[in-house]
Amino acid sequence: MRILVSSLIILLLSACDNKSGQEKTTGQETGKRDTIAITNPENNINPYVQVDVSPMDMSYYPADYPKLKMAKSTNAPPLARVIYSRPHLQGRQLFHDVLKYGEPWRLGANEATELDFYTNTRIQDKNIKAGRYILYCIPEADKWTIVLNSNIDSWGLEPDPSKDIARFVVPVKQTNNLLEFFTIVFQQAAGNAELVMAWGHVEARLPLSF
Amino acid sequence: MKKTITLLAVFQLFFLCLIAQSNLPPVDKSPMDMSYYPNSYPVLKIQDKITDPLVARVVYSRPQKTGRAIFGGLVKYGEVWRMGANEATEIEFFKNVHIDGKKISRGRYTLYAVVNETSWTIIVNKETDTWGSFKYNAKKDVIRTEVPVQKSDVMLESLAMAFEKTTTGCNLVIAWDNVKVALPINF
Repeated sequence: MRILVSSLIILLLSACDNKSGQEKTTGQETGKRDTIAITNPENNINPYVQVDVSPMDMSYYPADYPKLKMAKSTNAPPLARVIYSRPHLQGRQLFHDVLKYGEPWRLGANEATELDFYTNTRIQDKNIKAGRYILYCIPEADKWTIVLNSNIDSWGLEPDPSKDIARFVVPVKQTNNLLEFFTIVFQQAAGNAELVMAWGHVEARLPLSF
Repeated sequence: MKKTITLLAVFQLFFLCLIAQSNLPPVDKSPMDMSYYPNSYPVLKIQDKITDPLVARVVYSRPQKTGRAIFGGLVKYGEVWRMGANEATEIEFFKNVHIDGKKISRGRYTLYAVVNETSWTIIVNKETDTWGSFKYNAKKDVIRTEVPVQKSDVMLESLAMAFEKTTTGCNLVIAWDNVKVALPINF
């Protein structure tokens, strides 16, 4: 029995090592790529547009909608999309060096984070019309206030609260994993969807129904 | 008792391994970017410095050369190229515009190109929210227009797109490696 248990431990440990090893490599690669862009500006001379330190990204709901569409496994239009930039920690502590509790945060970098609803959407008790919005957030230790705002095509630095459409308070969960890059995705949840916002050791989820 | 603790430890390790496999997406190799016309419109907007109305925005991913031969190599001559990476390159017009004499209604479109040595055919297509050019459907083309290839002075590591003001509107400049083209947009 003891041998069985020890061999199980060894097996699991090695499996675990492999996985975390792989993840580390991926993390290092992405980190490296970005560092090159920052520290070797001669590699990044671009008179048109420099490559951003915080790369932009896009997430759809249903998840991977463009691939589903390409594979012809969906005929329905998409329901939602977010376009945001992905700042990274680079050794900084999220709620010490980067963000402050109680101060508005743009939930991204550079251009304001954009949320497109292709259909009318219900969030908490509010009906949100199909259309384009921007998002920002007021983080606290145990909850985030997620703000939907109409000042679209703007830059994230100075949200204009006079253009707020709705505010939603959601709880914050502490995560074990350290997430280097800020991440927004949609995930399916109990028949509906959640907008998942995660960075560092925290994760907030905004439930949506379509 | 010892056995129970060991078993518990095993399960805990197993559990830790499971959560270590995060289901959140990694950072793309070809980062996405966007350009507006008027240039830097979002910055001008928060500074209250807008003088001209919003006309266009392009959202595209930026593959890198990484030592490869690009045009005629990675991007084959005569084939439809997605002019980006990952999600299909998107152009949005916020007002009606004209390209090559044809009226293009405001709205979102996907951009492709057929690249040749001396000219590119730029394709504006109605099939939005798709991936790359793998299922490109010519029936959804809005316009195809040919533009000449210009040699650029600098070698660009990353694909770049930017708008430049012209006397009749703006050009969408698309540049990568040692090549650039300009798509005239009139409004």
